[in-house]
Amino acid sequence: MPMALPRKPRLAVVADRGEPGASLAEQALEHVDELYGLARHLCATASDAEDIVQETYARALGGVARLAADSNLRAWLFRILRNCFIDQARRKKIVLEISDDSVGDRPAHEVWDTAALDQLRYLAAADLERAVATLPFELRFIVVLDAQGFNEAEIADIARCAPGTVKSRLFRARARLRAALQGRT
Amino acid sequence: MTDLDPTAEADRLIAAALSDCVRMPAPRRLRDQLVRQHLRTRKPWWSWAAAFALGAATAAVFALVIARDPAPTIALVDEAVGDHLRIVSAQHPLAVEASDMHQVKPWFTGRLDFVPPVSFLGDDEFRLRGGDIAIFLGHKAAAFVYQRRLHTISLFVFADADPRSREETTVRGFHVLSWATAGFGMALVSDIGWDDLRLLEARLRN
Repeated sequence: MPMALPRKPRLAVVADRGEPGASLAEQALEHVDELYGLARHLCATASDAEDIVQETYARALGGVARLAADSNLRAWLFRILRNCFIDQARRKKIVLEISDDSVGDRPAHEVWDTAALDQLRYLAAADLERAVATLPFELRFIVVLDAQGFNEAEIADIARCAPGTVKSRLFRARARLRAALQGRT
Repeated sequence: MTDLDPTAEADRLIAAALSDCVRMPAPRRLRDQLVRQHLRTRKPWWSWAAAFALGAATAAVFALVIARDPAPTIALVDEAVGDHLRIVSAQHPLAVEASDMHQVKPWFTGRLDFVPPVSFLGDDEFRLRGGDIAIFLGHKAAAFVYQRRLHTISLFVFADADPRSREETTVRGFHVLSWATAGFGMALVSDIGWDDLRLLEARLRN
């Protein structure tokens, strides 16, 4: 007797271009600012960021990608955007710096006195954005998702990695941000 | 009061600042394009004809208005609304919180490469709340924040060599009033009514 294959999750066609798809498109378009915010932190230019947001919606609503029933629309859109960004980098022959998860960042000697913390309270957005831009792609991706309010399990689902990996990447990303901002502010 | 771990406090402050800057308003042209591409509904032929006629008429009126007086760039208005939203939704306080212009204005020294030409000290109707640095059209700008009843009004001052005519624009319900003075661009943004915004403009210009 042939072995039964595991059943694939039921898929919902996202965009049939008909009336039922419209409300989903409306829901998806509510996330455009968040997606654009992530894209701006990933891409070197605003026009590249706009391109991957366009492509994300084209894949999501054009029937290329499918949303599994009961899955999180917001997380699904972010996952597609990540894929679009990686594809764009490949097309442009940009080598993405990948952080080595097997190597833990050694904690630097840090002193956070009241004055240093006050500097962080009045941190200029441009300084913060410069610091985020120094992170390797995967750390930048995770730290922005964390700031967007995703929990570790959701980030792991979007980034296709284990929750433990998310935890360690977040730890390293925060350490790098602190190091980059101490002395820059 | 408990002693917080300073490193954890640093992480908390960085996270708070990050959460303010990760959400960026998508440019209007991108939003419009996405809506056109994905929210299209089927309409009868006559609605297209009517839309075409209306579009042609609007374009003609728009072209006339542009020819008479150029509108502020979309980028300026979008940026002004985006920066205003960042100020009103920020979880951390303004970089300098004071109702005294003599405290607020000197705070910009060393943080900007120009002195913002703002001398209105605030009054009972428009209380000065403080100031902050904004990134406006890719450059550092001064942001002054005034309060009128429950409404927040942001004034962005940026070095701008382009002579701009005075413009009033409404974007997503926010009123943007912009003008230029002595090599500086000024943009007032708020959800307050036009009359109140014009009143503040008059006080700023005096």
